[in-house]
Amino acid sequence: MSAAAVTPVFVRLKLSLLRNGLRQSGGRKAAYITSAVFALLFAALQLIGLIALRGHAHAASVVVLAVAVLGLGWAVMPLFFPSGDETLDPTRLVMLPLRPRPLVRALLTASLVGIGPLFTLCLLIGSVVAVARGGAAFVVGVVAVALALLMCVALARAVAAANVRLLASRKGRDLAVLSGLVIAIGAQIVNFGAQRLGTSGLGELDPVADVLQWVPPASAISAVQAVSEGSYGLAVVQLALTAGALVALLVVWSRHLTRLMTSPDESTLTSTETAVRERSSTGLGRLLPSGRTGTVMERSLRYVWRDPKTKAAWVTSLAIGLIVPVFNAWQGTGSVYIACFAAGMLGIMMYNQFGQDTSAFWIVALTISSPRDAYVELRARALALLLITLPYATLVTVVTTAMLGDWRRLPEALGLSFALLGAMLATGAWTSARFPYSIPQEGYKNVAPGQAGLAWISIFGGMVAASVLCAPVIALTIWLNVSARGDDWTWLLLPVGSAYGAVLSAVGLRLAAPQTARRLPEILAAVSKG
Amino acid sequence: MGTSAVRVQGLWKRFGQQVAVAGIDLELPAGKFIGLVGPNGAGKTTTLSMVTGLLRPDHGTVEVVGHDVWRDPVEVKARIGVLPEGLRLFERLSGRELLAYTGRLRGLPGTEVDKRATQLLDVLDLAGAQHKLVVDYSTGMRKKIGLAAALLHNPEVLFLDEPFEGVDPVSAQTIRGVLERYTASGATVVFSSHVMELVESLCDWVAVLAAGRIRATGTLAEVRGDAPSLQRAFLELVGAQSRDAGSDLDWLGGGAR
Repeated sequence: MSAAAVTPVFVRLKLSLLRNGLRQSGGRKAAYITSAVFALLFAALQLIGLIALRGHAHAASVVVLAVAVLGLGWAVMPLFFPSGDETLDPTRLVMLPLRPRPLVRALLTASLVGIGPLFTLCLLIGSVVAVARGGAAFVVGVVAVALALLMCVALARAVAAANVRLLASRKGRDLAVLSGLVIAIGAQIVNFGAQRLGTSGLGELDPVADVLQWVPPASAISAVQAVSEGSYGLAVVQLALTAGALVALLVVWSRHLTRLMTSPDESTLTSTETAVRERSSTGLGRLLPSGRTGTVMERSLRYVWRDPKTKAAWVTSLAIGLIVPVFNAWQGTGSVYIACFAAGMLGIMMYNQFGQDTSAFWIVALTISSPRDAYVELRARALALLLITLPYATLVTVVTTAMLGDWRRLPEALGLSFALLGAMLATGAWTSARFPYSIPQEGYKNVAPGQAGLAWISIFGGMVAASVLCAPVIALTIWLNVSARGDDWTWLLLPVGSAYGAVLSAVGLRLAAPQTARRLPEILAAVSKG
Repeated sequence: MGTSAVRVQGLWKRFGQQVAVAGIDLELPAGKFIGLVGPNGAGKTTTLSMVTGLLRPDHGTVEVVGHDVWRDPVEVKARIGVLPEGLRLFERLSGRELLAYTGRLRGLPGTEVDKRATQLLDVLDLAGAQHKLVVDYSTGMRKKIGLAAALLHNPEVLFLDEPFEGVDPVSAQTIRGVLERYTASGATVVFSSHVMELVESLCDWVAVLAAGRIRATGTLAEVRGDAPSLQRAFLELVGAQSRDAGSDLDWLGGGAR
């Protein structure tokens, strides 16, 4: 096949793939159309927004930052959404007689077709319109848009080709599970960032933009700004930087592509080789108590790190538990009491303990033959959780207090946090036994189909119950704060809250244990769905 | 130890409209290699799950080595080893970690668990993969590590659901060797399968299950009767007469395309 003929074939392939998105079942088709419409609507809106930004003092900073974020998006997208573009996986083409150079050209052209590139094009055009002044700037703008767009596409291709082995493996699928997390935390940060910009103005962005204007593809857009200001030398350097990056990416991509197409799939070969890697036992096991308690704690803690679903849940809880109180305090609008949010977020990890085991719960079920066994099992899981949450909740509370400078309230905030943590552990243990549900291991869903009601009762019912259980400590806090000489006694809330939390969790575990021991087959059935 | 390892009476299980197990009475002798055979959907997995306490029956009683599974779990759970089909393991542990975890959960002392784990990993040919996560194991390796976990506490009765399904011949031979050595010491193995040749070559006692009922039980010779092979006897028992394929599919192979 001649080089000229390959490119149209790939472009047609890409168009067919896009069209086939419409040929799925009803629900998926609707989702496909909706997401496409939203992406285009969003593209149009930001195009209008960027044009409206024209003439604004900090327009250049906003534009440079936006393009940099866009470039980052293209770089990480293939890692988190490997199934997003089927033509990204060149190993599918391995049986075809193609030479590397025409293949790179064809694949690059084909990747310009799609909603993602269209979205990028809109943003880039908007950026140029926002900063370009004068005919020369617009001419440079056309070059900049082409360079930046090609670089974004080549970046995604190069990253995908370099990691194609990873993406096809179990580790790659694990990574994909974490993608929802990146979006969740990213959204939180963007949300707080936007709030902060709203209060203190776009000038905050200038120092960041000063650095990013040297990083492709943002440098291409910065070149347009430079031409507008008459700094032609700077513009040439920035454009050259982008072009250089594009060439480098194409070379890297082409190399990986050639190697992928000409070497055998290593994923089947290495499996027997890498196995014999002697790993000394982690020090963790020796520090934990012996017997069932230590064994269960060790397994729970290992899963926090090794199981992608558990890890994603933990990182979300840890991040949001920190971001909400600290960012609120940073903006000066927060209160020390918001630090309890960390304890609440982390307490959720106690919920649906057995669902987190998936159907492997049968191993646990076969070793629980009395309420005592169940109690030790649940207590060990709670202890593993406390090993992380107790220092973390303390840290978040101290940091929040330090930012607000409200040291007088630290004891009561800590007391409330610990009481809430205890209440969450108690209700978590009980709902784990009473309302277990499956957590599907693939994909982003955290509840198996048909069990959403169970999950709802488990989490929201439990959280409401936990708040109610905390009511005495909350009431005491309010009373001490409003009564005349109460301020002298607020320190008392730390020991009282801690003791109350400890008693709550002990009682909760005692109540949950017989339930667990009695309902083992029912729990196993509930967590084995999906 | 009495003469029967497992005694089941009037066992029923219904899932919605579907009756999975329709009144099973069964007595399995101790110290034998027992095969529970039946076509797909016969109720083998459901029966084994109820016998091992992983699934609650609608009616009926189950006794294992003389103790009721539901009323006396302490006695029963310490005496049985189980390898279920279709349930996961703690796959984010390495093979060795999984054994260390299971053994300690069973209440064995740590040093003893580690000693037994080393031997089991050796015998089952998993020593090279002991530090690899179970999630990266092949089907045969998973069955072998599951078997190791089930044997760790030296149970009196071992229940294995389809232990040879999807297992390569080398691993199958290894599993076989371990099981034969285990029954030679007087322990009982109950395993389910739909591969008759396997059952015929391994078992000395067979129970045939079809559509949720027991069709025949007894020694291999008793169940086989006059039939030339267990396969033939089985087909007759479950009522699947080998249909003569003469007139159908006469276009298949040879002749006109």
